[in-house]
Amino acid sequence: MRQRKKSAIKKLGYGTVLVFFLFAGQAWAHTPLCSCYDNGDGTITCEGGFSDGSSASGVKMRVEKQDGAVLLEGQMNATSEFTFNKPEEDYKVVFDGGEGHRIEINSKDILE
Amino acid sequence: MKKFLSALACLALLTPAAPALAHFQIIYTPEMAMKEGGKIDLALVFSHPFDAGHTMDMGEPEQFFVIRSRGENPPQKTDLLKTLKPITWTSLTNSGKAWESNYAVRGGDYIFCLIPQPYYEPEEEAYIKQNTKLIVNVGGEPGAWMEPVGLPAEIVPLNKPYDRWTGNVFQGKVLLHGKPVPGAEIEIEYLNHEPLLDKKAFAKKAAVEAPQEAFALQTIFADDNGIFTFGIPKAGWWGFAALDLDPEYTYKGKKCSRDAVIWMKAVDMQ
Repeated sequence: MRQRKKSAIKKLGYGTVLVFFLFAGQAWAHTPLCSCYDNGDGTITCEGGFSDGSSASGVKMRVEKQDGAVLLEGQMNATSEFTFNKPEEDYKVVFDGGEGHRIEINSKDILE
Repeated sequence: MKKFLSALACLALLTPAAPALAHFQIIYTPEMAMKEGGKIDLALVFSHPFDAGHTMDMGEPEQFFVIRSRGENPPQKTDLLKTLKPITWTSLTNSGKAWESNYAVRGGDYIFCLIPQPYYEPEEEAYIKQNTKLIVNVGGEPGAWMEPVGLPAEIVPLNKPYDRWTGNVFQGKVLLHGKPVPGAEIEIEYLNHEPLLDKKAFAKKAAVEAPQEAFALQTIFADDNGIFTFGIPKAGWWGFAALDLDPEYTYKGKKCSRDAVIWMKAVDMQ
């Protein structure tokens, strides 16, 4: 899939590339996506990605208390997953893909 | 002569018009594009979707599996044969043997694939075998929906079958053993009666009425590259069956039509 994107980009002329730069914000817009699931064994797995199918590997992940205090930190692994031990208290998961690419998920919304 | 013609006309009126509707292998679950993961119910029914007519008895499928893919992760295949339970499905005219299953999904694309046991059609003294794909997405993150699964006969979608607005087109490529089938004949039917999974039956109420038989079963042909294009006139489920892709194919010494089926769903913009 990645190769396909590269070859498509190669075929574009310079003019098109320029237009893409001008409208970069729109042309390359992709929405961050993250869903978390209770594995039923005391762990939670979050799956991240982007709406264009690109990988979220390496995206910073945080588990925070509701007041923002950090409980644990990590990052999406090679398959864009992040698994952690389920905290006993209420928490929120933060998928931190940078400005405009941040998602927060409350523990009450995480189902098995 | 006049008498003969009028007698013939009366006879024609008395004889019900032979329905020109096509057999369609259905894999149904209520939603193709889900917001969240969870357990989904599936029904495998071999019927005539436009008129919810005669439902054929399905044998035990040869293969039923799902391929999950999410983003750039490698696709993963899971065998689902053992999850199948036999059911009786009620159409508007009869009931037939069918199968049900359920499966827990998370994010990404799920390509459900069915290779049924060939069905013997006594009137044609031949078998029908429709390899069928249903592609479901959870959460909007795409996977390998556009990749061939590797079924002997298969339709590969060129658009996500779960993200079509009404008025979009749907395109697919017809493959036999991985190679395009130029000029493949494709029959198209609208799933006109909602499948009710709890009742294991089609809803009696039809969504639309065909002004004439040709509208109930539409026929188009693939181009020289095996690619077909269909403009979607109405929201709902549409089935595409590429027929008899391997004319030499036989089963138990009889002709067997090796078909490939795919389903898509369109949604109104509102």
